[in-house]
Amino acid sequence: MKVVVAYKWARDPEDAAVRGDGSVDWRGAKMAAGEDDPAAVAVACSVASAGGRDLVGLTIGDGDTSWALARGVGHAVAVPDAPSLADEAATAALLVAAVGWIGEVDVVVIGDADGYPGVPAVLAGLLGWPALLGVSTATVEGGRLLATRRAGDLDETVSLDLPAVLGVAAASAEKRAPGMKEILAARKRPVEAVPLSALGVSLPGRLVSRGTRVPDAAPARIFGGDPADAARQLVAALRADGVL
Amino acid sequence: MAGDCWVIAAGERRLGAMVSAARQLGGGVRVAAVGPQSLAETAAAAGPDAVAWVETARDVPAEAYAAALGRALAAAGPRMVLAAPTPQGRALAGAAAAALGAAVIPGVLHLSFDGGTVVTDRMDLSGRVVETIESAPPVAGLFAGEDIALSAAAVSAPIERLDLGDPAGIRIEKAEPVSGAHAGLADAERIVAVGRGLKAAADLPLVQGLATALGAEVGCSMPIADDFGWVSKERYIGRSGQHVSPRLYLAIGISGAPQHLDGVRDAKVVVAVNADPDAPIFRRADYGIVGDLYEVIPALVAALDA
Repeated sequence: MKVVVAYKWARDPEDAAVRGDGSVDWRGAKMAAGEDDPAAVAVACSVASAGGRDLVGLTIGDGDTSWALARGVGHAVAVPDAPSLADEAATAALLVAAVGWIGEVDVVVIGDADGYPGVPAVLAGLLGWPALLGVSTATVEGGRLLATRRAGDLDETVSLDLPAVLGVAAASAEKRAPGMKEILAARKRPVEAVPLSALGVSLPGRLVSRGTRVPDAAPARIFGGDPADAARQLVAALRADGVL
Repeated sequence: MAGDCWVIAAGERRLGAMVSAARQLGGGVRVAAVGPQSLAETAAAAGPDAVAWVETARDVPAEAYAAALGRALAAAGPRMVLAAPTPQGRALAGAAAAALGAAVIPGVLHLSFDGGTVVTDRMDLSGRVVETIESAPPVAGLFAGEDIALSAAAVSAPIERLDLGDPAGIRIEKAEPVSGAHAGLADAERIVAVGRGLKAAADLPLVQGLATALGAEVGCSMPIADDFGWVSKERYIGRSGQHVSPRLYLAIGISGAPQHLDGVRDAKVVVAVNADPDAPIFRRADYGIVGDLYEVIPALVAALDA
């Protein structure tokens, strides 16, 4: 059986430029490793090794396969002609089709990205597997997954039957980027490129955008000038508004 | 009834606001409450037409009912399902979206129904834009609007138990309060939080001085808590750290990354101090000073003493 970790399946929202008229420019934005992707790979490695499973990396579009191969993934599958989709449910469907193509998978690990909150859950829904999101760590014990996560004010330890989907939320920035040795080893690991047509998935365009605009929300009251003046004005405003 | 909007609730967060948003679609509004009886009762008081209650045992998380709830909702033929973007809410909404063959729209702010089409205003790019999207129903939305206080409804909606059979094999083995006393951050009325703008651990007393002047607790953003271990991890505020709801939150030298802002969602007033005028924190803040925190903090302490 295999563990699949999906990574670099979305563009970084910070790479999108918002023009003065509120329209959005995504030019130059590539599939990027979200801030949760390193944690997702770490969890996937832990589950694969504890569960005696092969670890396969999955990326789509221009996501680069070497990123995961240098972080412990054994072999990588890419769908280079997969489009970037506005509908998160469609992105999930694409990933599910790729998981099906890989075959014999019973754990999918994916970064639980703030910018794309729907993808991990719909992915699980389409697979028909339970999902646990916001996960920090996971391992396999007695043929079941054992995961930890923060739920509100509690630190929970949760067990799940296989097959299952884990959405991993990074608790810290990546501690140690791969060194030269890992990067060179990554080049020897197998990569399979799968055309979208081989996945047999239909990606309906269910969302039609009427356009974007800059939000109307009241902007922050910013105090300028020299720090002493700005501080005095801020304190006065907070007192006048009943905050202080 | 077919064409209703269903609010999926695994917790109380944003329940009132979601029921209110659901009303904008013009059809009936129902809540599927997955949890203890108290949740069903809170849902009933939030103003829907009816509540369907899935009771969970203490060691069974809401997620264990995701697939079964999805099938039940698909049978009900909703126009839309709406959930809060918590890990539990998303797991339930995702299963519902899959069962319904629905598109997913995160960041939902406003809804309307126009000529057979669901029209959604949603927040995107960490709040930098609002997008208007049309979709044929059904649609699954993740709600990002402000929470509203639930006023006592004139009449509580009827609660009907929903039997979804045995839950899937997910169990809570252990649940412990977050380690450490977390310095009262969860209950603090005022918090001063510091981020990467602070250059050295030796400078922390500067921040502590401001906190003392305000009668505030001290918190921090993830990079500081973890990378430098300056302020204990229990004071880290963010998605996988503390979620705080103070009346006043000062973000000092914090850029405002989404994972940090996730912990500050319920703060009433946010004041940002940052040297970068383009820092995302200013989009979230109500007040701000663009400047060097090493100059601004002493100036604030002086202004507070005056």
